[in-house]
Amino acid sequence: MPYLFYFLVAVIIVYFIVPGKLKNLWLLIASLFFYGWGEPRFLILMVSSIVVGYVIGLLVEKFRGRGVSKLFLALAVVAAVATLLYFKYADFFISSFNAVTGLSVPLLHIALPIGVSFYTFQLLSYVIDVYRGEKAQKNPIRLATYIAMFPQLVAGPIVRYSDIARQLESRTHSFEKTALGVRRFIIGLSKKVLIANALGELCDVFQASGEQSVIFFWIYAVAFTLHIYFDFSGYSDMAIGLGKIFGFDFLENFNFPYISGSITEFWRRWHMSLGSWFRDYVYIPLGGSRVKKWRGLLNILIVWLLTGFWHGAAWNFVLWGLFFAVLLTVEKLGLLKLLEKTRVIKHIYVMFFVIVGFVLFNAASPAEWVSCLGGMFGAGGLPGVSSEAIYYLRSYGLVFIIGIIGSTPLVKRAVFAIKAGEKGAKAINVLEPIVLAVLALLCAAYLVDGSFNPFLYFRF
Amino acid sequence: MNEKRKNVVVTVLLAAIFLVLSLAAWFKPVTEYSDSERRVLAKFPELTLQTVLSGEFMTEFEDYSLDQFPLRDSFRSLKSAAEFYLFHKADNNGLYISDGYISKIEYPRSDAMMDNAAAKFKFIYDTYLQSANGVYFSVIPDKNAFMAENSGHLSLDYSSYISDMVGKVGFAEYIDITDLLSLEDFYRTDTHWRQESIVDVADRLTSAMGGEISGSYTENTLQNPFYGVYCGQIALPVKPDTIKYLTNDVINACTLTGYNTGKPMSVQMYDMDKAAGKDPYEMFTSGSDPIIVIENPGAETDRELVIFRDSFGSSIAPLMVESYAKVTLVDIRYIQSAMLGYFVNFENCDALFLYSTMLLNSSTSLK
Repeated sequence: MPYLFYFLVAVIIVYFIVPGKLKNLWLLIASLFFYGWGEPRFLILMVSSIVVGYVIGLLVEKFRGRGVSKLFLALAVVAAVATLLYFKYADFFISSFNAVTGLSVPLLHIALPIGVSFYTFQLLSYVIDVYRGEKAQKNPIRLATYIAMFPQLVAGPIVRYSDIARQLESRTHSFEKTALGVRRFIIGLSKKVLIANALGELCDVFQASGEQSVIFFWIYAVAFTLHIYFDFSGYSDMAIGLGKIFGFDFLENFNFPYISGSITEFWRRWHMSLGSWFRDYVYIPLGGSRVKKWRGLLNILIVWLLTGFWHGAAWNFVLWGLFFAVLLTVEKLGLLKLLEKTRVIKHIYVMFFVIVGFVLFNAASPAEWVSCLGGMFGAGGLPGVSSEAIYYLRSYGLVFIIGIIGSTPLVKRAVFAIKAGEKGAKAINVLEPIVLAVLALLCAAYLVDGSFNPFLYFRF
Repeated sequence: MNEKRKNVVVTVLLAAIFLVLSLAAWFKPVTEYSDSERRVLAKFPELTLQTVLSGEFMTEFEDYSLDQFPLRDSFRSLKSAAEFYLFHKADNNGLYISDGYISKIEYPRSDAMMDNAAAKFKFIYDTYLQSANGVYFSVIPDKNAFMAENSGHLSLDYSSYISDMVGKVGFAEYIDITDLLSLEDFYRTDTHWRQESIVDVADRLTSAMGGEISGSYTENTLQNPFYGVYCGQIALPVKPDTIKYLTNDVINACTLTGYNTGKPMSVQMYDMDKAAGKDPYEMFTSGSDPIIVIENPGAETDRELVIFRDSFGSSIAPLMVESYAKVTLVDIRYIQSAMLGYFVNFENCDALFLYSTMLLNSSTSLK
């Protein structure tokens, strides 16, 4: 509520009042205020990261083509990795070390700075892009605006410097672009507030319930799978929409991943900014697939191990990454060709493994994942149905239906089909503002009634 | 409307919505109290370097912005309506309406809470009631017992719940009142039972403890409408209830002493100031009070009764005074059980533990 009706409105008003050359500065001030609002003490970390990135970027450019340039790049990578290792992974490594050795090295209990994984990756992409030939940003305010920009600061998408380098210097604003941004923002907000939060509640109900049954496990698994999509893609929509309002064009982060016909395709449609980041900055530098077969498979393993680890400092995330590494390897070794010959089975296959994967993603430990999988398949004589499961299935039935339809391009295609005709286009043009206004008011109503709902990806 | 005009309309309309709501949020006078939720609303937090650095200011500002949002009740109503009529949810924050009655789902059963309540009662029994005349226990099933199953909502298995609870309070003689209650005995918009509908319950309890009530009362009706606790919570337009209260010569002659402030002070059997207040149900024996002593000067007996109770006891106690010279209402949500000996004489009294399933299933407030 403070974000929408206090911060955001004030930022947009001032943004459109200040002259063009001050717009970046205003965005930077607003972004630092936004970050400081959530984590005042971590402002220093962010500002230091920006300063380090700025200086190293300039040095990398200055010494481009010489060995020392590579040294500065390595320094930036080490600084970024060290930041992540200390703030995000230190306790994980210590507790794992303790578990293996039986020692009791005390944990550091370091709070995770919000968005550290996102802005560290953006900073890395900037320095690497400069190393590869992109012009270094001489203007520290522009670079700081890129790193700290609040719409995507805490939950992505991971914006590549090369994608918005020109827009940081000059960008256009228009009613068309603003309207597009507003529409995207409201759709994202609605996905988060109206759908994701409801499904999140259902997951909480399941986890608190003592009355488990096979159907309840499946309700939970499907609810979480939809929840994480609507939560994360909703946030990405909001970020992309706000970007448009501020004149930026951020790349898409989701493209209806649940209609994929293979896991390979799924990862081209899910969290695309992270996938392409790892592809361009890890997988390809490792040699990608243009190496010996075993080395190519090893590259996949490394990338997915890191992908899983990026999501969180816990074994379930590591396992989650490896889970997809195995699936992608199997597909590469021949399954992909078999799947292409099917029409329905490939979708069942994808959704089954995606659901199983997200159950692992949300499990507190690998053991909990195994237990949950057991529940989904009736292990231990679990009853098939329970009154609680039926009640929640009935109560959330429509949310499920909306969620399932909303995670496919059906609505988008229907709107395009209607708009293809002249009358249809007119009707859509009249309806669109009304629907968006109703959604905005509904979101406000849900936020007023609800308690604090942090976005899921904040923890990354 | 063409594409260009639509873009202008979308931008202007949404900007207007956000701008108007934001300006109203920034400049609206502070609302002190929410009548619909019966609570004090958050105020603008203290702004100091320390509160900002600790994050306390931001956390409290979140509460402030939610509590002070313009048209807050209307937005809550919109959300409630959307939940029920747009998304067809079976409940909104656990609340549901069936046949005009509002209730809150009481589910699942908590054995830990039952054990906690039983342990508290046992402590009282062991500490104070060894020399009591008789010790009794009765359970008031909440509204869900009469509506949840029919409306398809989750509910406790009340017969096994009560039977298990009775087993846990084995030191007391159980008085079953469940067959005397039906949905109509409860307010439509509140958790509580109607005093005018529970004369038979009072009679059953009193008879089981060896007493007798005449059952002859004058029915009085409060003029102001009674919007029960669920009205504000469900945030939908609902018809208010009417509060009726029963009087007779015995009730009118009784004197009441409460200990809400820690010192004895005179209170009313039916407090008309509270009847006109935020929660009119509090009129019954003047509402929440750790100890209330009702003295019946016209009693033909010297028998005394101590009722350990929750708020349901407030409205039934006046109907039971006829059989006793003194009835003491004890609410261990507001006083430590270990302190009771300083205020209440348990010698040769009858003792009744009278609690609703709502409290038994969520008994952390018992001290």
